[in-house]
Amino acid sequence: MAILKALKLFAATPYTSSPLIIESDSRVALSWLNSIGKTTATTRVSGLKLVSFMNQGRSSLSFNLRPMLALLRISCAAKPETVDKVCAIVRKQLALPNDKPVTGDSKFAELGAASLDTVEIVMGLEEEFGITVEEDNAQSIATVQDAADLIEKVCSEKSA
Amino acid sequence: MNIRCFQRNFSAALPPLVPLQLPSPMETHLWYILPDEVKSVALLNQYSELLSPCERENVNRMCGDQLKKRALLARALVRTTIARYQMNCEINPRSLKFRKNIYGKPEVEWQNEDNFSPLPLHFNISHTTSMIACGVTVNVPIGIDVEEKQRRIKNNITAFAQRYFSPYEVKLLTAISDPEVQCQEFIKLWTLKEAYVKALGKGFSAVPFKTFTIQFRAPAIRNLHPPGISVSEASEEIVESSNDPTNLTNNWQLALLEVAGSHYAAICMERDKTVGGEANMPMKLTVRKTIPFVEDVCVSGTDAVLALGGIIEQ
Repeated sequence: MAILKALKLFAATPYTSSPLIIESDSRVALSWLNSIGKTTATTRVSGLKLVSFMNQGRSSLSFNLRPMLALLRISCAAKPETVDKVCAIVRKQLALPNDKPVTGDSKFAELGAASLDTVEIVMGLEEEFGITVEEDNAQSIATVQDAADLIEKVCSEKSA
Repeated sequence: MNIRCFQRNFSAALPPLVPLQLPSPMETHLWYILPDEVKSVALLNQYSELLSPCERENVNRMCGDQLKKRALLARALVRTTIARYQMNCEINPRSLKFRKNIYGKPEVEWQNEDNFSPLPLHFNISHTTSMIACGVTVNVPIGIDVEEKQRRIKNNITAFAQRYFSPYEVKLLTAISDPEVQCQEFIKLWTLKEAYVKALGKGFSAVPFKTFTIQFRAPAIRNLHPPGISVSEASEEIVESSNDPTNLTNNWQLALLEVAGSHYAAICMERDKTVGGEANMPMKLTVRKTIPFVEDVCVSGTDAVLALGGIIEQ
């Protein structure tokens, strides 16, 4: 099932502004992924290893990739509107001046958020999006993009 | 010889750090910097020289000058503080190496060198916009947290407490009618819980705030001291018996202070089982305000340090 889902995503996703996120606990699977070609890739260790990259419209994948794909979990990154909403909430919580840029890549720590700030931000996000975030998920959020992705994940699980 | 040049080099040399004895078992040394008091660009540059290239890079990644300064002072505070506790030889703050334990808690990575034995030193730092603090103990883990007393909580406090605190704590907080007082009590509880989790060193998610209760206990005999603070499993009834296995206070000692009139500081340290004595032994505490290389002021016992909870001996 996971393999079919992966293949469908690969086939269906054109070059859009929403990057794919591919997660795996397997170093082997991730290094394979790195080697099959990508436009951008970022890896981060936080219990999961994440690689996100733009699909280049590949729709044919040979079957010997099956074992590798089985080790991967694939989902779509958050929409830009979600990221924007998160930026607004972060800005408000940290009382950031307008000239300070906040983007998806902004790290909470680098914006000056300490533990209480991060928790307040998560609560603000829960209220805004009508969701509840588990504490261990909340801890793994390091950037605005992480928060946005988590929100969309929780939202989609809620509606599923 | 160009005398002006020589003079400039001479004045750039930093005075040595005043060496200190390590804290004794069951003692905490708390050091703090008030960033607003550090204005000299030359001094900040000298602090920058103490950092590793990696730390300097992290400082530069912070968004804005104030945040950069804060990050710089935090690293400078940690390095200079640890370097003071030299035993047989001088430790250069610049040469200290740090690493994180498997849960991400920072610790010193002592180098294997001849004639040098690692210090059994533990530290933990915390910062707010207007204060950076570093706590130091010997042999046992420590966690500290500081927050501004006047900090405004943006979310509804009751909702916040219900989300993160234990049932006993929620009941206590919601019973407070004055919103200002409620906010301050919330912040005090938060710093204590944060200090405990940081002392444990396993991360926020390993010990969710909801799973333990912090309680201020009225002292039985010690009427002159502020009440002790206990930490116990949230699910159990609060029991006074110190033999109770759910009473985590057997292992951990907590203290709450008001520092510099502006901040709450919570300290949590593990009890040193090798030191005999009753469970209610006081935490010995020495608090120093510092601007590394410029001045150190011991403020224990002055108005700058008010004990609010926990059995403390200054």
